[in-house]
Amino acid sequence: MSDAAVSGGGSGFLQKLPGAIPGLVLIVGTMVVIRYWIEPWMSSAVLFDQKGWLVKVVHLNYILLGIIFGMIYRNVIFGGKLPNLFVDGFRLSRLFIKTGIILLGSLYTVQAIVQLGAIAIFLIGGFVILSVVMVLWLGRLFSMDRSMTGVLANACSICGVSAAIATAPAVEAKPAHVAYAVATILGFGILTMFISPFIGHALDLTDLQYGAWVGTGILNSGQVLAASLAFNPNIAPGTAVSVAEIWNIMRVISIPFAVFAVTVWYWAGAQGNGGAERKTIGQLFVEKFPVFVLGFLVMVILTSIGAFGDVGMKGGPAASATIKMLRLWMTWIFGIGLVGLGGYIDVRELAQAGGTPLKVGLIVGVTKYVLALLVVLAIRDYLVAI
Amino acid sequence: MAEERIGSETVASAEKGKMTLFRDDRQEDWGAIILATLVVALIIVLTMK
Repeated sequence: MSDAAVSGGGSGFLQKLPGAIPGLVLIVGTMVVIRYWIEPWMSSAVLFDQKGWLVKVVHLNYILLGIIFGMIYRNVIFGGKLPNLFVDGFRLSRLFIKTGIILLGSLYTVQAIVQLGAIAIFLIGGFVILSVVMVLWLGRLFSMDRSMTGVLANACSICGVSAAIATAPAVEAKPAHVAYAVATILGFGILTMFISPFIGHALDLTDLQYGAWVGTGILNSGQVLAASLAFNPNIAPGTAVSVAEIWNIMRVISIPFAVFAVTVWYWAGAQGNGGAERKTIGQLFVEKFPVFVLGFLVMVILTSIGAFGDVGMKGGPAASATIKMLRLWMTWIFGIGLVGLGGYIDVRELAQAGGTPLKVGLIVGVTKYVLALLVVLAIRDYLVAI
Repeated sequence: MAEERIGSETVASAEKGKMTLFRDDRQEDWGAIILATLVVALIIVLTMK
């Protein structure tokens, strides 16, 4: 790894870090207030003659509250734009989410990954191909711009924002194309992030079924994480987040392949696309592979060889003190990351979505969301618990 | 128009780099690996008997 990786290049990550402290204090302080005061209050508060109504019926927890607080900061308290004092702290939110996902590797053994991964590859692969084909077909049906279609295809099929941005240079997309695609999937994703836990509880889904559903049906990585933790905030083997993240990681890994496929489609049919970046699958793999996934895999291997002690699998010995502390810290790391993520959601930007891209995005998004639920329910007997 | 709005530092931004303190996604990935390593090391030390 180069020094630049740590220093953040010419502008210097370490030099910027002190400027991030005020924002970080706000985010961490928010999570402290939520977990030490608001959550206990919600558990004991009596509403509609029921103790803990907010937790038992509305299923509010620190994850949903964290995102809501982040959104309130940006959209209500700060009037749509984070103040310069806090902005660098919020820029660390994705760092925390990625760090949490790496640590999640401690929930799995290699055997569990192989068991669950096989089903995940089948489901994710099928839904990625289905989504891409649907967007390309609908794009043609509605005479949508070819670059716009390419960006939207990968935004709807893989992991939203990352995929849209990774695809843009390969299909000569303009910034507006990316903005339309991202705003469309973001608006739909926020909706699914908030309604999925309620649907999951209403249908009495198990953690395994719910995790498989949201991991397949929700478009964006951050929203998959939020929706699964909102359903069950516990972090342990077999919980919703442990299942959904295996699905999510399979999907993130497929970014280079999907970019390549859509690029090939673009070259095959577009005229005068001399400005598009023509790259081989090997080049795209090296450039776009999300290396934090390697950290996750190293954690899985370390856990499998017992480096952190017993992991507390069902029916086995209790989890070691190291594993218990790791899981506790993960709840804080995810909580902090998701307050930050909420702070990046500008509700006014959702108005950017519109016209044909919105129509196509919604058709594909809703189809994927509903079909994923039906498929998971249909194959529930074949889903392997970990 | 969308073209007039992109470039902000929100999730819907076309410039994803503005959402991170790092230079790009790849460096943020390495940053996460380093931070996770530090967290694991600290927890191992704290739970050492």
